[in-house]
Amino acid sequence: MSSWLSMLPETLRISVPYACAAVAGVWAERSGVIHIGLEAVLLTSSFSSVAAAVASGSLLVGMLAGVLAGVVVSVGHALLVERARVDAVVSGVALNLLAYAATRLALRGLYDSASNSPSIAGFDLGPKGGDVGAMLARVLLDPVTLGAALVIAASPWLLARTRLGLRLRACGESPEAARSLGIDVVRTRVLALAISGAIGALGGVHLAFDQHRFESGMSAGRGFIALAAVVLSGWRAGRAALACLVFGALEALQIALQDVSGTSKATTLVQLLPYVATLVVLALGIGRAAAPRGLGQRVDDG
Amino acid sequence: MDGLLLELVKVSRSFGATRALHELDLRLSPGRITAIVGENGAGKSTALRLCAGELAPDAGEVRVGGRALHPARPEEAIRRGVGLVHQHFMLVDGFTALENLVLGAEPMRGLRIDFAAARREACALAERTGLEVDFERRAGELTVGERQRLEILKVLYRRARAVLLDEPSAVLAPSEVGELYAALRRLADDGATVAVVTHRLDEVVRFCDEALVMRRGELAARTPLGAERPPELVAELTRAIMGREPPAPLGRPAAPDPGPEPVLELGGVELRDAAGRRLLDGISLALSAGEIVGVAGVDGNGQRELVRVCAGLERATAGTVRVGGRDPFAGVHPGPAAVRAARRAGLVVVHEDRQREELVLAASLGDNALLGDLGAGHDAERVARRLARFAVEPATPRLPAQALSGGNQQKLVLGRARDRQVRALVVSQPTRGVDVGTARRIQTALAEAAAAGAAVLCVSADLSELAALCHRIVVVRRGRIVCELPPDASEDAFGRAMLGVEAA
Ligand SMILES: Nc1ncnc2c1ncn2[C@@H]1O[C@H](COP(=O)(O)OP(=O)(O)O)[C@@H](O)[C@H]1O
Ligand SMILES: [Mg+2]
Repeated sequence: MSSWLSMLPETLRISVPYACAAVAGVWAERSGVIHIGLEAVLLTSSFSSVAAAVASGSLLVGMLAGVLAGVVVSVGHALLVERARVDAVVSGVALNLLAYAATRLALRGLYDSASNSPSIAGFDLGPKGGDVGAMLARVLLDPVTLGAALVIAASPWLLARTRLGLRLRACGESPEAARSLGIDVVRTRVLALAISGAIGALGGVHLAFDQHRFESGMSAGRGFIALAAVVLSGWRAGRAALACLVFGALEALQIALQDVSGTSKATTLVQLLPYVATLVVLALGIGRAAAPRGLGQRVDDG
Repeated sequence: MDGLLLELVKVSRSFGATRALHELDLRLSPGRITAIVGENGAGKSTALRLCAGELAPDAGEVRVGGRALHPARPEEAIRRGVGLVHQHFMLVDGFTALENLVLGAEPMRGLRIDFAAARREACALAERTGLEVDFERRAGELTVGERQRLEILKVLYRRARAVLLDEPSAVLAPSEVGELYAALRRLADDGATVAVVTHRLDEVVRFCDEALVMRRGELAARTPLGAERPPELVAELTRAIMGREPPAPLGRPAAPDPGPEPVLELGGVELRDAAGRRLLDGISLALSAGEIVGVAGVDGNGQRELVRVCAGLERATAGTVRVGGRDPFAGVHPGPAAVRAARRAGLVVVHEDRQREELVLAASLGDNALLGDLGAGHDAERVARRLARFAVEPATPRLPAQALSGGNQQKLVLGRARDRQVRALVVSQPTRGVDVGTARRIQTALAEAAAAGAAVLCVSADLSELAALCHRIVVVRRGRIVCELPPDASEDAFGRAMLGVEAA
């Protein structure tokens, strides 16, 4: 019974990395940069946050290092695509592979392990205890979750109402028009990717802090699920985050079902639930809204 | 308003091997409307883009108000008071007109864009200049005229003192052209520098103060237009533009005897959009072999839909299209299959928006020339023939289509259409953005198609073109044919029919 009720805090906890990555994807693609390197952002930020936390003994330093890593990877992608004119899909795939290999290599080098880092302490704010209320309080008081919730909630407004948001969307819809109005398309896109990287990195940091360590390949495809959420939402931040919440709920349900059914073949099938649901929704074409018109378009300089 | 002198001093600019401008000297003075005319590819757009900081000169200097434009970037030109309205609209279709207006110069209130202030200023600006736009609509949903006005408002909103317009009238109805120039005249009277690129010489003579003729990237002539404007002026300008004698006036083929059966017949064609609005409302027309029928009307009154139905891109919600008595779309889904069916039936269509509907801009000229006939064999010959038909310049098959100037893109599209088996030809704006010499060749080609037995339906915003070419002209309004006029009816009669005003 308690496993059913605990689904609420579980859903929130599970959704954070997905939602961060999805909103990161929205920021990038609304500015016109195709971004399939969300996995790389998640992985490098979770690794960096743990490594910095281990080295400094401070979770806050870890968090900052994670965000910085996400920004670096993301801005690197933007520069490769917009300045060096590398194909965005190629760059994204390369970053994903590179991030996977580099974090493994660093694990080996720093901690002499093929699979995981040493453990770190968590923030562990909020009441102790196993009842649902305490669990919910702990999830909600987590600084990473709070930070993520804040930027995710602010994103739709920032994109819709601010100068940066308007210009960024103009670069995504019609880079030619933006340029003719004196907007520096490349700079705007690099800035968008920096913001995107920071938001996505919060997801990576959450992933690592939640497990109290870094595990090789721990993003486990979340960046791609997030990408599906971006498409589903029609490139809208709020809806993308909501889609991730639903996905998180399905995953929580799957965990709860596992508790009930124990270990059997059915478990494996149940684990597929969130992915199958995502596929079905994508296939049904719900919210098959148009992508930003200028997605992947570059502008020539005079 | 203070005047802002724009000068190009011995400016050269090339694109790869193409020399667009060669030591061009150009002066645009405040307080007057200067027309810039010349053949397609003469370098008119390039000259304006240099003034607007979108291109940097290879050699020479661009001067704004006496000082060099440096750095050569749009933001610097905007800051210095230069505004360019592009040949192809530079609007963000998904944004509202208001968002488009303020983009890049947003009034702020804290972190937020102050849309309330923007709206107030926009309305004031619209009132002052007489350029009305529905600011809450998305730019993609505006009519062509509104988009045009929005582009000018964008420039004025940035406090431009020099307003440059690249073929602004090509897409407008006659009444809208008059309004456009009235607004430009008010700006010039206010002291602004106004320059207009156009192919319509009658406009130049009627509305402008000076004509600069460009030929092959150089200034070929400068013609001040004083109070005296003799009728020979148009011929004189034509000669200067072409560098030789103007082409003979178009000879309309004699009206054919109505045959027993029309070649192209539209029977009560109706088209509704998703919301159930009638875009086409019972269009009936019958064209015999050899007949040229014109369609006049203010842009956005169903012309585009009519052409799309003929092309098989939309299915008429009621009524039929028949070619030689047969409905090519019977039992075919709209879309690619219907487009092929139309082509098989000899119904050849040329859409008005060549960039969106006719060409794959990123693909080569060769591939574009074969579009729709891939796999039919004899590719190289076919490409050469279609590029040569109206002398596409440069005729290099591997160049991407976007490297062509607008007029040359149009030549390619028409060369491809004329090269097909034609029983009925439906063309929209065949000479939009095309220079005088080429326009005449295209019109002649249409007349020849008719003389060879095709039925030709020609949609055009250019009344003089319809008058010279067509045997009869129908006027459409709100998706309906409101009347049929002989080609020699007065412009006034057309204007009244198009706008739906009763004769006084
Ligand atoms: N971006 C470009 N890339 C390559 N060639 C170009 C480009 N812009 C213009 N040109 C070439 O420069 C010449 C002048 O073009 P343009 O200024 O557009 O002529 P106009 O506006 O007088 O028709 C043409 O030969 C055209 O093909
Ligand atoms: Mg041009």
